[in-house]
Amino acid sequence: MLRFILSRLVMALPTIALVSITVFALIRFIPGDPAALMLGDMAEPAQIAAMRTELGLDKPMPQQFLIWAGNVLQGDFGQSIVNDEAVLPLVVSRFMVSAEIVFVAVLLASLIAVPAGVIAAWRQNSLTDLALVGTATVLLSIPTFWLGLLLLLFFGLKLGWLPVLGYVSIRENFAGGLLYLVLPIMTLVIHEAGVLIRMARASTLEVLRLDYITHARAKGLSESAVLWRHAFKNAFGPTWTMIGLILGNLLGGIAVIETVFTIPGLGRLMVDSIFARDYPVIQGCLLFVSLSYVLVNLVIDLLYPLFDPRVVAE
Amino acid sequence: MKKLLLSGVALLAATQIATARDVTVALSSDLRSSNPGVNRDGNTDSVILHIVEGLVGYNNGGEVKPLLAKSFETSADGLTYTFKLRTDVKFHNGKPLTADDVVWNWTRYLKPDTKWTCLKDFAEGGAAAVTGVTAVDPATVEIKLAKPSAVFLGLMSRPECGFTGIISPDSVAADGSFDKPIGTGPFQWGEWKKGEYIHLNKFADYVSPENNGQPDGMVGSKRPLVDGVKFMIIPDASTIKAGLQSGVLDTAEISPDLIPEFKESEKTQLIVARNNGKNLFYIQTRDKVLSKPGVRRAMAMALDLDQLVAAASNGTGEANGSMVSQDSVYFSETQKKRLPYDIEAAKKELADAGYNGEPISIIANKRGNVPSFPAAVMAQAMMQQAGLNVQIEVLDYATQVDRRRSGNYQVISQSVSPRLDPALMYAFYVGNKDENASLMWDDPKAIELMKAAYVEADPAKRQTIFDEFHALMLKEMPGIFLYDMVDVWGATKALKGQPVWQSNARLWEVSVEE
Repeated sequence: MLRFILSRLVMALPTIALVSITVFALIRFIPGDPAALMLGDMAEPAQIAAMRTELGLDKPMPQQFLIWAGNVLQGDFGQSIVNDEAVLPLVVSRFMVSAEIVFVAVLLASLIAVPAGVIAAWRQNSLTDLALVGTATVLLSIPTFWLGLLLLLFFGLKLGWLPVLGYVSIRENFAGGLLYLVLPIMTLVIHEAGVLIRMARASTLEVLRLDYITHARAKGLSESAVLWRHAFKNAFGPTWTMIGLILGNLLGGIAVIETVFTIPGLGRLMVDSIFARDYPVIQGCLLFVSLSYVLVNLVIDLLYPLFDPRVVAE
Repeated sequence: MKKLLLSGVALLAATQIATARDVTVALSSDLRSSNPGVNRDGNTDSVILHIVEGLVGYNNGGEVKPLLAKSFETSADGLTYTFKLRTDVKFHNGKPLTADDVVWNWTRYLKPDTKWTCLKDFAEGGAAAVTGVTAVDPATVEIKLAKPSAVFLGLMSRPECGFTGIISPDSVAADGSFDKPIGTGPFQWGEWKKGEYIHLNKFADYVSPENNGQPDGMVGSKRPLVDGVKFMIIPDASTIKAGLQSGVLDTAEISPDLIPEFKESEKTQLIVARNNGKNLFYIQTRDKVLSKPGVRRAMAMALDLDQLVAAASNGTGEANGSMVSQDSVYFSETQKKRLPYDIEAAKKELADAGYNGEPISIIANKRGNVPSFPAAVMAQAMMQQAGLNVQIEVLDYATQVDRRRSGNYQVISQSVSPRLDPALMYAFYVGNKDENASLMWDDPKAIELMKAAYVEADPAKRQTIFDEFHALMLKEMPGIFLYDMVDVWGATKALKGQPVWQSNARLWEVSVEE
């Protein structure tokens, strides 16, 4: 097992290195000088040049990369160009905010969507199936920013049940913080449940057509035993993989949700940094997102044998 | 479920009660730093404005008036400024303001290590090079300049300079690092939750400078009428709208397309305030096509400026073809002159200049709070009627800045933040383009006039300079000035007072009814 984990981590290294180089180069190819943006419209060329030197932006790009990569290997992700904050603590603190929302949302979406998908497959072509598939298709077709705004206007503005904006960390005030998380989580749950329902349905349908299910039914097992004890375990694999992919994607990519609901998460930090051309923060965020993606999928792979004993983590 | 929701509502209500007497305002981005005039942008200036004060400040008309100073005098040779300090001023830590504090601040600002944004203006060779700051007595400070400067006081008052705010030496930690701003303003530093909000508390011992009971720019009556100010970081316009409609926000800048909705709403009010910023078409006078003044004049004459401004500003702006703001004391009859809207004359200018339909590209951005894109679209349609082959290139703001800095553009639909002294506004556009490619106009006469405006202190003589400059501008048309910027803000009906001035939130003399 340990060997498997190590080998997976080693295999991830080239991916992370490639991501780092690509991000480092791409962000510098985008027009827009961080020094000029930082100093504002009254700065003179000499001041901008001095700032570029101070930030190390006047060095050749490969040299800049080697300096940055060397520092990262020592745990130093650099300082934000915009506000001089250390990048690593900044990224970690923002990641924790996003993670709170994403983990809860994916958990809830899975708890709703997986049984719904299995039931839809079990009742294939029935009204239940049609309703579930139709609902799932509508849900995953709605853009999250629009859905978020609708929920915000309805529950926040019209009914006044939930806060319209602001954020309180649940680590500081659990009950108060939860209120601020309801709408963003609800938005994600609704969207992601649509994706997962379809996946759970498709993979269950495939399994239900296999001979061993017919055999189980022929043995006289009840439908619920056939479905949950025999079909579900084999059908859950692809859905589990999809949950891992969704989790990985969302951990670095809920900028729109965070912007609509004024959540100070990693996605918003990344978008703000891109607009400000805050290179160290952009690089730090993307490196962190890549790492979390790799780790989430590693954990998903490690947990696979729990659902499907045919898969061995080695 | 119902119980859970009800308890949620109760909790929310309790949270709101706790902050009921604060005024809550939205900022589109987070503070850069709390160190006045060091690492800043417009939003940072808005926050700092409430905490610190300089010796002098701008009034509504763009004139510089005493603020922490009770009065100031200039020596006959224009080299020595003597500031008599007010004796009723206290820092937020309770200590009284003294001349030594002023000297300490200026010494700190002039140290390169402080990284003051305005150091270049006050250091050797700058527009107002300071050679010495001395405390004559506990209530008198003398500042000496290397050469006379008409913009010394104006530069001191600029937001970009952190208002040259006088802070307590206790603002700096023992190791010399900046801790927090302990100023003399109507609000004091409270809490900064990065990415979430900045909270300022009312300074109960605040005393306004001499005034007539009304707020007046950075001077006038400055009473803090609320318990505190909460600046919430909200980048999304739709969320701001929902925040104002729900009453969570008391006031915020809104997207101009919401004007009709806010005007008619029973819950909200619309606040429209003109400022000294400029919306213009910034022209590259070294471009092959646009180097001909005839083409530039034709572009200006092809514009029905009143129509364009009405459309681009959603009816809030008023056409102004001058670099001088309409609210400036220097906005004379001469400044009101502009080239006429005359398509035939424009066509003739183009024919005389030998224009043969060469493409002209206007760079625009789609930021919601500036009219860059709508102004470009309107201008494109109008200029095409005169035979100009105009295209629009939409870029993000950072790329637009890059293009202007490098001089790689033909026309940019640009907004320029307020500068209350016309000479300081000129400096954004005029100068040697070989040394600074971002400048618009390098006409020797224009440069000479700008330099004269930097030195000449007599208002009447300055007016003559500004008028001569405007006449030259109409002849050369290095850029097409459209209208003065307009702040479009929304607020709840409960908010009383004027919460915005010169694009900055200004929350003294503002209250929120219970």
